[in-house]
Amino acid sequence: MDVRGAPPDAEVVALVLAGDTEAFGFVIRRYEAGLLRFAARMLGSRDAAADAVAESFVRAYRHLASCREPARLRTWLYRIVTNRCKSHLARRSVADVSLDDAPPVADPADTEADLERADQLVLVERALADLSPDKREAFVLKHVEGLSYEEMAAVTGERIPTLKMRVHRAREELLKVLEDHA
Amino acid sequence: MNVIDQRIHQVLDGELAAEAVPAELRRAVAQLAAAADLLAAPPAGAVTSLESRVMAELRRPAPSRARRVMRWLVTPHAIILRVRPAWSVAFAAVVAAFTLFTAGQEGPEPAEHEGIAQFVGRFPEAQSVHAVGTFNDWRAGSIALEDQDHDGVWRATVLLPTGTYEYMFVVDGERWVPDHLAERLVADDFGRENSIVIVRPDRR
Amino acid sequence: MKRWVVLGCAAFLAVPLAAQSVRGRLSGRIPSEAIPAVDSLIQFASQEGLPTEPLIQKALEGGAKHVTGPRIVAAVQVSLGQVRGARDLLVHAGDPPPVLPAEITTVAWALRRGLPASLVERVVAALARPPRAAALHAVADLVAHRFDADSAAGLIIEAVHDGVPQERLLDVSTAVLQQVQRGHTRAEALAIVRRDLPNLPAVSKPTRGTVAGARRPASPAQP
Repeated sequence: MDVRGAPPDAEVVALVLAGDTEAFGFVIRRYEAGLLRFAARMLGSRDAAADAVAESFVRAYRHLASCREPARLRTWLYRIVTNRCKSHLARRSVADVSLDDAPPVADPADTEADLERADQLVLVERALADLSPDKREAFVLKHVEGLSYEEMAAVTGERIPTLKMRVHRAREELLKVLEDHA
Repeated sequence: MNVIDQRIHQVLDGELAAEAVPAELRRAVAQLAAAADLLAAPPAGAVTSLESRVMAELRRPAPSRARRVMRWLVTPHAIILRVRPAWSVAFAAVVAAFTLFTAGQEGPEPAEHEGIAQFVGRFPEAQSVHAVGTFNDWRAGSIALEDQDHDGVWRATVLLPTGTYEYMFVVDGERWVPDHLAERLVADDFGRENSIVIVRPDRR
Repeated sequence: MKRWVVLGCAAFLAVPLAAQSVRGRLSGRIPSEAIPAVDSLIQFASQEGLPTEPLIQKALEGGAKHVTGPRIVAAVQVSLGQVRGARDLLVHAGDPPPVLPAEITTVAWALRRGLPASLVERVVAALARPPRAAALHAVADLVAHRFDADSAAGLIIEAVHDGVPQERLLDVSTAVLQQVQRGHTRAEALAIVRRDLPNLPAVSKPTRGTVAGARRPASPAQP
């Protein structure tokens, strides 16, 4: 998992394009955690997220030559995953929230703080799932993945004012839920 | 509109220092930040790396030409057609006539107090999926979902007496999974949640 | 006179026969040591004029999910409490006894879906004529999407009074949710749909192909 000391993205891209397939492992290790988290938040299921991200990596590898700015590999990958999530949601095949995805059953060793945190997470996840996909995407990219509005614009192809509006509306809806349950 | 104080957005967008806003607004900022932190925290349980799965796919030799053609033939493609309206009307008339003449030759006719229930779930690795619930006395076997195109999406369309039913999916004969697409869920009093389907009258 | 004798005999035989058929449905489906307790709970319900099918289904569900006998009995007890509570609510709301079993089941559903009893009672009292299943499910759908419960109930009651037929009440809640998906706030969505009542957007019906592809389950289903 340790990717410290790994070459920068532009070099990795150059290596892969030169025929070193194994170098693509750097890309996976560097970005999979964030992409998986993003896809899981978008799709509401870890299994579906793993499928979407794995398919995205394969797609990214096959079309790596079309990544015009290798230094911005991260935004390019998020864009591919975003599109996969959208087509996944459009097919409305998000019913695979299995019991494996359900919140874990409380362990007797859990402290009260752990349980409270787990309850709060369920509340936040449900509120997030209730947002429209556009608003959910904007909130997660901004606040969970920590992208700037400029990066978000590169990922989604939307204008910055549109993205700002979506983030604001998402915050308002989430805050209402949090305050109702405070 | 459920508009919150703009200064909350400004703080969260880094345009305003948190200290510059009153305490009650800082509390809202903290609530949203805490929610984002919860969502950003790694999920409970082990996360399996995708590296071996993806790399195995990348190392596979490129498929032969015949295989690529076959794959193209069985993969859905978006097709844009430009057709003169006169042709499309004529085509629609032929299709309508064909459908009318062939209708009623397959599938059961819904009775007056029957409706259609559709069950859909995505289970990529499953060998079998059944809908089990109050419509079949919780017996597996009577409503089997099918994945005819092997895309991991399992479906069944059944006629049921109109009414409200509770159910779950049983995957591979042992895993009980709620159908979250149903959107209606209710506690099952055994520590899980059942999905609810409401079957409405629907005549052909 | 002869007819009354026959009816009396039939009634006398009906309860034990029903009990036998319940035991037959449970036999082999739930742990055998749980059957006597579950059976007696179902008999209590039957004697009180309450619907028994929800209790039988709960027991069968527990058996299918491989739950232990004591947990099945406990869950059936909870179900009995729910149908009793539903019956009491209907009587309190003004339904003349004996209350229709189907309405009891409907109200029990609404309560299980999390609607407050006072709200269910308000809807029941406002809609004097059964069935209220569609109305209560429509309200529950909106409340599940965090709509204000009173506003949701108000809209559905208004829809009934405006002449929206029973079979389209679920389309009222669907129409509201569609407005939210289009970016409106919940209050705006309720107002938009209320303004257009009794008109509702057309619903997409299953295609002819879907209907033709439908099949009946292998074993008979009962609502």
